Amino acid sequence: MRNPLRPTRRVHAHCDIPCGVYDPEQARIEAESCYKIIEKYTASSDELLRARCIVVKEERAELTKHHIDVLWHDYFKPEHLEKFPDLHETCWKASKAASKVKQTTDIAAAKELLGLIDRIDEMWKATGGPEKTRLQAVAA
Amino acid sequence: MSTERGRLRPLSWFLLRSLALGTGVAAVAYARRWLDVVEVQGRSMAPALLPGEWLLVERRTYAHRRPRVGEIVLAADPRDPSRELIKRVTSVDGRAKMIQLAGDAPDSSTDSRTFGAISVSDVRWRVIARYWPAERIARL
Repeated sequence: MRNPLRPTRRVHAHCDIPCGVYDPEQARIEAESCYKIIEKYTASSDELLRARCIVVKEERAELTKHHIDVLWHDYFKPEHLEKFPDLHETCWKASKAASKVKQTTDIAAAKELLGLIDRIDEMWKATGGPEKTRLQAVAA
Repeated sequence: MSTERGRLRPLSWFLLRSLALGTGVAAVAYARRWLDVVEVQGRSMAPALLPGEWLLVERRTYAHRRPRVGEIVLAADPRDPSRELIKRVTSVDGRAKMIQLAGDAPDSSTDSRTFGAISVSDVRWRVIARYWPAERIARL
């Protein structure tokens, strides 16, 4: 039987999307793929492999950019910006670096991208990201 | 053989009981005009309020005075008036009759930072207490 003391009226303490799961690691893994692919591309003389490298690198770079953008738009909040005035600049640069990795086979660009993602990761960690945005334990 | 349990009760006992019950029902019916109970959904008011908690709310106070900073209130969601939000008052502009609302957990809250200030007249219900779970019973 339904508990008679249980309210029928629900009030929302939600955010827009209740998911709220963020982690720069997602961007980092895609960016690492790009880095390794560029290495393989440069070392190989197999035209087929080189062509495949380009295709897959473009796809991975696009995903990197997407994950950076999601952190930038959805995870970071005004109070985080107060704490880290370089937040916008870093995310902007990271998005641009991801575009460069998509367009070129420049290993320096891939390295720069990784560095920027690491900076985003620092800000995510310093704002309590690991505790607040990742599941700590999943109930069976 | 008459036992203590089998003894007939006087008519006045039934009358008195009916009267007490009737008064109780009438009192609840009357109080329901300005008292209600609600269930919290979502985590934006954590740790003060957690999802699934049951609260007592009333709408007498704001008929006489404005909400004050720090009070927990119910307000129609400006983006979807069929939804009711539960948030804390963070500022009151007496002249403009606007108030700002925020969740206690800014990382998982959509509030005045997103939808701006709302009109004082849209806030009618004030949260007064939590009555469930029993170990978290408290005035709020």
